[in-house]
Amino acid sequence: MVKVYSFEGCPWCDKVKKYLKSKNVEYETRDIELDDTARDECEKISGDTSVPVTTIDGKNYVLGFDKAKLDELIAM
Amino acid sequence: MTKDKIHKDVIIIGAGVAGLTAALYAGRMNLNVLVLENGIIGGQIANAVSIENYPGFVSVSGKNLVSTLQTQAENFGAVIDEFDNIVKVSLNENSKIIETEEKIYTASVVIIASGMERKKLPLPEEKKFAGRGVHYCELCDGHMYQDKIIVVMGGGNAAVDAANFLTKYAKKLYLIHRSELRADEISQNKLRQNPKVEIKLQTEIKKLNGDKKLESIEIFDKNSGEVATLAVDGIFVNIGVVANTELFKNEIQISSSGRIIAGEDCRTNIDGVFAAGDVREKEIRQLTTATADGTTAALLAEKYLTKLKEVF
Repeated sequence: MVKVYSFEGCPWCDKVKKYLKSKNVEYETRDIELDDTARDECEKISGDTSVPVTTIDGKNYVLGFDKAKLDELIAM
Repeated sequence: MTKDKIHKDVIIIGAGVAGLTAALYAGRMNLNVLVLENGIIGGQIANAVSIENYPGFVSVSGKNLVSTLQTQAENFGAVIDEFDNIVKVSLNENSKIIETEEKIYTASVVIIASGMERKKLPLPEEKKFAGRGVHYCELCDGHMYQDKIIVVMGGGNAAVDAANFLTKYAKKLYLIHRSELRADEISQNKLRQNPKVEIKLQTEIKKLNGDKKLESIEIFDKNSGEVATLAVDGIFVNIGVVANTELFKNEIQISSSGRIIAGEDCRTNIDGVFAAGDVREKEIRQLTTATADGTTAALLAEKYLTKLKEVF
């Protein structure tokens, strides 16, 4: 399952989610503002809490909105 | 891969307030409208926390205003594509071609509403610290600085509004500007009343220091001539904007300030190409003037299309 680390009101996070939807990719939203565990997970994955962070396995991740990299991640 | 070729009555480049307004009006006139956006729908205003000078709203967030505008445009048939980036534009009186990553579009009318983007911090260390202490979107990245020391650089409305917003995270916030503040008095007063805030005017940021992340900055007081080091965790840069005209610079008349030359009728030097919103060279750039431009461009686009049909 694809996970998107994000928070409510983050415009680039919304763009990533809309893109995943447009590709019919199911994803789980992990809100780093409301959930401390999600925040810690995000920091562990990318070394930071800058979002959006999109991951499929907790190791490979895409920071921000990068269509080409998201396509690669989805294809994994 | 061969790209599909598609024709549209009107292609609008940019889904900011000007572009969405043009899409709404053009859609209402039953034109076949496509809006292409490389960034965020809404553009700069999408990040505004609270807009208090848009008529008809006491206060509205940028996100909500943009969302409503988008719904209005889409309800009238406009299609908005925010995932297919424009790679090349070719514009002249007889042919208007917009090539994206996936398609090749032709259009009878092009409305350029590509807006502005924030100027980068003009220091050699900017690249090293971009995203690791140097930021351009307070709404996106402000949360990273809970109980930290934040600097906002700039003196206009955008900078002071950003500073007011970021006080909710900062334990200490410096507003640093090289001259005097130009922001509205009401926003300045709100900031000055916040005990977390220290305003340093006539002050320049000369250098950024840090290993992997920003740790401190060197500032120069223009009045005293003193140089000091300030421990900070993050800088939010709000030192002005530049027009998004890179795609069109060889296609259309551009002013010395980098904006597209077009009058209040939004007509450019190329028949059938209009410029609307902040990308157009003009003195006043507000949300209200952006919607006015979008309206004008769409209505005159329809007139242009009607004339074209009469000719053929």
